[in-house]
Formats: sequence, C-alpha cells, structure tokens
Amino acid sequence: MRHSRISKALGAAAALALAVSACAPGGGTPGGTEAPVDPNKVISAYSNEPQNPLLPANTNEVYGGRVVELLFEGLRAYDPNGKPVNALAESIETTDSQHWTIKVKQGATFTNGEAITAKTFVDSWNFAALSTNLQNNSFFFESIEGYPEVSAVTKTTDAEGKTTSTPAPTAQTMSGLVAKDDQTLEVTLLQPEADWSLRLGYSAFYPLPSAALADPKAYGENPVGNGPYMMAKETGSWVHDQSISLVKNPDYEGPRKAKNGGVTFKFYTDPGPAYTDLQADNLDVSDVLPSNALKTYTTDFPDRNATKPTATNSTLNIPGYNPNFQGEAGKLRRQALSHAINREEIAKVVFNGTRTPAKAYVPPVIEGFKADVPGSEVLTYDPAKAKDLWAQAEAIQPYDASKPILIASNTDGGNKEWVDAVSNNFKNNLGIQAEIQPFAKFAEVLDLRKTQSLVSLTRAGWQGDYPSMYNFLGPVWATDASSNYEKYSNPEFDRLLREGLTSDTTEGANAKFNQAQEILFEDLPGLPLWDQNRAIVWSNNVIKAETGWNGAIRYFDIEAK
Amino acid sequence: MKPERTEGHYVAPLEETALEATDTLRVEEAPLSLWADAWRKLRRRPLFIVSSIMILALIFIALFPGVFTQVPPNNECLLANSEAGPREGHPFGFTFQGCDLFSRVIHGTQASLSVGILAVLCVLVIGVTFGALAGYYGGWLDAVLARLGDIFFALPLILGALVITQLPFFRENKSVWTVVVVIAMLAWPQMARITRGAVIEVRNADFVTAARSLGVSRFGALMRHVLPNALAPVIVLATLELGVFIVTEATLSFLGIGVPESVMSWGHDIAAAQVSIRTNPMILIYPSIALSLCVLSFIMLGDALRDALDPKSRER
Repeated sequence: MRHSRISKALGAAAALALAVSACAPGGGTPGGTEAPVDPNKVISAYSNEPQNPLLPANTNEVYGGRVVELLFEGLRAYDPNGKPVNALAESIETTDSQHWTIKVKQGATFTNGEAITAKTFVDSWNFAALSTNLQNNSFFFESIEGYPEVSAVTKTTDAEGKTTSTPAPTAQTMSGLVAKDDQTLEVTLLQPEADWSLRLGYSAFYPLPSAALADPKAYGENPVGNGPYMMAKETGSWVHDQSISLVKNPDYEGPRKAKNGGVTFKFYTDPGPAYTDLQADNLDVSDVLPSNALKTYTTDFPDRNATKPTATNSTLNIPGYNPNFQGEAGKLRRQALSHAINREEIAKVVFNGTRTPAKAYVPPVIEGFKADVPGSEVLTYDPAKAKDLWAQAEAIQPYDASKPILIASNTDGGNKEWVDAVSNNFKNNLGIQAEIQPFAKFAEVLDLRKTQSLVSLTRAGWQGDYPSMYNFLGPVWATDASSNYEKYSNPEFDRLLREGLTSDTTEGANAKFNQAQEILFEDLPGLPLWDQNRAIVWSNNVIKAETGWNGAIRYFDIEAK
Repeated sequence: MKPERTEGHYVAPLEETALEATDTLRVEEAPLSLWADAWRKLRRRPLFIVSSIMILALIFIALFPGVFTQVPPNNECLLANSEAGPREGHPFGFTFQGCDLFSRVIHGTQASLSVGILAVLCVLVIGVTFGALAGYYGGWLDAVLARLGDIFFALPLILGALVITQLPFFRENKSVWTVVVVIAMLAWPQMARITRGAVIEVRNADFVTAARSLGVSRFGALMRHVLPNALAPVIVLATLELGVFIVTEATLSFLGIGVPESVMSWGHDIAAAQVSIRTNPMILIYPSIALSLCVLSFIMLGDALRDALDPKSRER
C-alpha cells in the first residue's frame, strides 16, 4: 500500500498504540452476563473523511479503504489471519504460475441487480489500469500482460528539470485479460508469479458495475457494490466531513456475512473526542486511540479492548544520496546506527508494548517470516559495538558534524515520541548530535523524498496490501519500485526477488525472499524498527470486535447487543 | 475609561493656592521629572518590588543556568527514567523521554526571555519609528504608515505566525531569531499606534512650539522634545507585550513551529508532556508554572509602570 495510505495508517496506528500484547486482556464477553446478540443493531465506528471518491481502484488510504472493503466483494477475501479464501471465485487454477484460470461463481449480483460475470472483472480491471483514468491503485495490475501498454505515460522534462508525465496509453485494454465465457476469466501474466492470486482479495481487484465505468465521479459519491453492506440510502449516505452510513446487504452470500445491522462511520479529526465518546458509549468501536491514552486504555476499557499483531512495519530509511552514508564508511555508520537503537526499550516504554521489535524486513504475521535471517544480528541493541563501528567509520571518513543527524517525521499522529527516543539513543550511544526534523504533514516529507531532496534519515512504514512477503520487499526496495523513494538499487536483490516470484511453490518463493533479505541486511538501506500491534477498544454496546491480518477492524464480524 | 482630555497646563484656583506660592520657584530642590517622579512612586509599590525581584531572578537563571543545575537538559536522556518521579539530584523527576525535568525548566528560561526581550526591542524600533513619523509629520506619510500598520494589525498573531513559519526560508533557518522576526513583523502595529497617539498629543504642546521658535529643526524637535515626552505609554506597552511575546514563543514552540528542538523551550516541554498527562501530570505542570510565573512577573511590572507613569490614572 502506498505511503499516503500508510501515513494515515501509521499515524492512526501510531496514535493508537496498543497495549502490551502479552497482558492485554483481549476481547471477550464479560463473564457471566448473558448478552443476546442483536443482529439488526447498527454500530458506529471511528473514521475520517475519505480522501477520494469511493472507487475501489482509487482508494489507497485507510479511511476510504474501510468503507470500500465493506461495500464490495472480490474474487477472494482474507480470513482474520490473512489466509485468502475464495469469495466470488469458484476456483483459481494455474499450472505454470503465468496463465491463470479463474471461475467466477454463478448468480452473483450487485445490489442494483446487475449480474457479475467474468466480463465484469475484465472491464473493471481494464478501467483501473488505464492510465487516463488516473486510478491510484493501477500499479496493482502491473504483472498482467498488456499493462505496460495501457499504463504508458509520456514524460516531459521542462527547463527547470521538473518532470511531468501525461497518460499516453497505447492500448485501451490489457491483452492478458480474457473473459472466455460468463464464468471463466483467463489471466496471462508478463512472467510467472507464484503469489499472484494472493492479492485478489485487495480492493483494487473488486468488480465494478457498468454505472461506475460510465460516470466514475458520480458513482464514487454513492457506490453500488456487492459486499456485505450497502449505502444506507439509495440516494447516497455520505455526508461529507461528517459520516457515512452503511446497512446490511440482505442478499449478500459470502464469507464475510454481516453479524450486525449496519455500520455508521463517524468522522473525527482528532482521536481525543472519539475516546471520550467511546467511554460514554456514544461511539461503538475505534482503532485509533489518542497517544495519551496508550497507558490507560486497558483500564479505561476493561474486557473491551484487544491488541493483535498486524502486517505493518516501520523502518528508518537512510538515503543513499546522503554523502555521509556512502561507501565503506557509510556502511559502517548504518550498522552503528542500527546497533545503537534500543528497540526493546522503545517498544516497551514509548509504545507501551504496541510495537514488537523488528526481526526482519517482513512482519512475523506474514507467511514465510524467519526471525533468524543471516545478517539480522544487526538489529540487536549493542551500544559498545555501535560506538566501535562509528569510530571505524570516522577513521575512514570523518562525519560532517556541522549539522546534527536529522530524522524527518511528521509530528502529528504520535511519531515525535519515538523519533525523540531514537535520537536520544544516537546521542547517548554514539556521542553525536541527533534531532527530529519536524514536518506538519506526512505529505510534505513524501514530496521531498520523491524528488530525492531529503538528506535526513526518514521514517517510513509499510502496511501490507495483501499477505505476502513480496509485498513487503518488492514495492519498497526493488530498483525503481513504486515506493522505493530513496532509490535503493541492488541487482542481486532484484534477481532474488524475481526468482522468488517465479518459483513454483510458495515455500520456494519465500526461501528466495528470505535470501533477498540477507542482502538488505548487508546493505541496510533502511533500519527495520518494529512491527505494529493494533489496539482497538469498543463500547458497552458491542460484545466483541477484532482486527484482521492487516490491522483493520472486521466490522462485519462485530456482534452488538 | 479615559477621562476627557484636559488642558496640560492650568492655573490653580485662587482659593486653593496663594498666588505667591505658584510664583515662587523652589531653587534648592532639583525639579522632579516625570521619570523621577514615577520612580519615587514605584519603589514603594509592592507590585513593582515583587515583579522586579522575580524578573531579576529570571534573568539570572537565564544567564547562569549552570548555577542551578549541572545536569544537561538535552543529553543523557534515558528511556529507563521515563516519567520517573523526583529523586536526589533530580527534584522535578523526569520527562517522558527520561530527561531531567528540573534542568529543562531551568534551561528553558533562556529561550523565553531572549525571544521576549529581542522581540520587544524589534517591535520598539519598528513601532516607535513608524508611529513617531506618522504622528509627527501627519499627512500622506501618516496615511501610508497607518494603512500599512492596519494590514499587519488585521493578521491574528498566531495565524500569521503559522503562515510565515511555513515559508521555506523560515523553515530551513529555524532559530530564536526567526521567532523574533515573525513576532516583530506581526506585533509592531500596536506599538506604532500607541506611539502615534502619544506623539500627536505632545507635538502641539507649548514647549515644542517654543523649541521650534528658538530655531530647533522640525526633526530635532521630534527627537529632543516630542519623543522623550511621549515614551511613557510606549514603555508600559513594551513591558506588557514582553509577557505576551513569551507566551507567543511558547505557543509557537508548542505547535512545533517555534524555536528548533535543540533549543530548550517551555513550549516544547509542554507539548511533549501531553503524552504523560494521564500518567504523570507533574511533567506538564512544572514547565507550565515556569511559563506562568515568567509572564505574570512582566504583566505585574507593566501594571506597576502604568500606574506610575500615567498621572491621570494614578490617583484613582
């Protein structure tokens, strides 16, 4: 998921902080009280104004994403542990990981009665990928044959060296997508990719009714979908800057059947008032906690909170174009910085246990995760070694000490606390000066990173789009990848990723991905910091709520009383 | 409420004062100027004494923080001490990041006072210059300067500061000086207005006319006779604004757009303490008290000065 989304996700999650996972009581029905489930109760949930119209392929931030995920159903869905299960797909088959045959279930319809067939998917995906439609999630289709043609852009560089790109597709549809009959969808990829089908539950791959393709903008205000919920009113129920109301879709048949009558997302600009609303039972569930409640939410909401590890991690990226971090000295410096960070203590004290110190570039909830990838020793806290490595680097090339080491971060969303803590680690253990370079908005940092003009260290985060190791490595660290803003490039790493993608089995692929991580640990383009645990709290109106593999609340599973 | 403007010079009623008394010149005693008179009033006022002692103490702390604490405010912050309570050598306990709170509060004095004093000096220079010129010369100069002042006066201080500090130049060169410049840019019109009013009041006084008729140039009369006699309200306002600017600095730092992180500021500490408000509110309270005391002492001094320098309000 792109960082714009992450920013919010991280902001949210950071603000959210979770409780000590080990001692969080976890959700459960309060012992002894019999609370009958009311299947028609409408619950209210914390959210914020979605950034874009609610088109699945254009929604890449959490607040729009959570609505879209309830309004639509894709070929697959994810269970709470991130395991994909077939939803609209009857079967997904391949023999060579390059040619895929997907059988679409018969009789599925949108809530307006329009039938969902293989052609629906072909049209929706072509719409999403075509560069003139400017859909944020178009890059999710990059492995399908014909994507380079539909996504083509012409880049022009003006006199000031600013590059602007204009969409210039050379084809309107992807040649690798064919609806053989109403129920059969044939997909040809540019190259074999063993984990391709894992991503079919992501919102970019949701089907769209024909009305959406005709007038996307109007449709995005009042989307008609096929998911467990639908908009509460036919005329639309998105009150901008206030709320979105969804009600149960009575005709929905699938793995995510709603256990409540509806969800009303109330928009808050600040988690503080939401927290008091929760305490007063005016709001039913929230996944964003104010940072000053991190130490108290387990006692404020006894038996009404849950904390669970999610597929979201944080790294501290070190731009390769910063002259202090180049060559052999730069390598030693990166190792020194990594050894100087006391991840355990920060996770415990600053995050109150809502983070788990990172053991790899991939969070533990992802299948294939290995805690002992060779080279991962660099993540251990060892101040003596850090000091020694820094001294060695100084001997090669003295650090330009005129300016302190800066860590760029947006200061909203509870990031400042840990950035300060990491700066203090650097100061105390390496004897250097370090401080935060504050920005008001994450987007400001991102703009500088995109143009390679941010020489500071920068915080970065990644929330998994779909549960696959590749999703944590490819888009972030591969040469010229979409979110590789610091332009890290290592041909050997790229080769191992490709080999992983093209291997026949998931195990084989994951072995290659872990090998690729060894290279990351050697080069340290970013220092893995910690993986997130997501804390949620709920009101007395809710019996139980839980989060999915990616930390999003499974609203349809919420039982209310 | 200002009383109706009264004549600056009058003859006492006959029944009150014997004519001889008004005509007699007491030569054995030096004549009391407004300032000397004010000083005589001031030094007996408890408000003035208390506020002066507090300000002197604050200035001493700002100049010599090492006398009060040997602990560095920004280094040696250990997370292990996070939010820990007071113990020997650390009378206020520790911040969220495990820094010594007492040391941070002590070292924060410097930023607050220097921003406050420097900003007031800048405001005095700009405001008094513009106000005096506008009030003394009048005409088109007055119109231009007054409108210019109105433009800046219409910008709310915090809102204007938010915008200006986002300009690339200010963002990249964050320091005590950028805060001073931002405050001075936005706060000078009030000073200019007060000065203008005071100068207009004085410029037609008899002694100015007298000086002019004796051959003093127009500008010379402004500098030697008008300005010194118009300064009283300016000084009072400057003292009051000092307190206001200290709050402004803390506010800007609280919002993350004030002085850089490496400069200790109560605003930073108050912002950082928000995380601890539910667990250890003392971390918030200590820097807040320091800020309040500092501002209070300047406001008290301003009040005392006003009472002493404004003869009209004095006796009431």
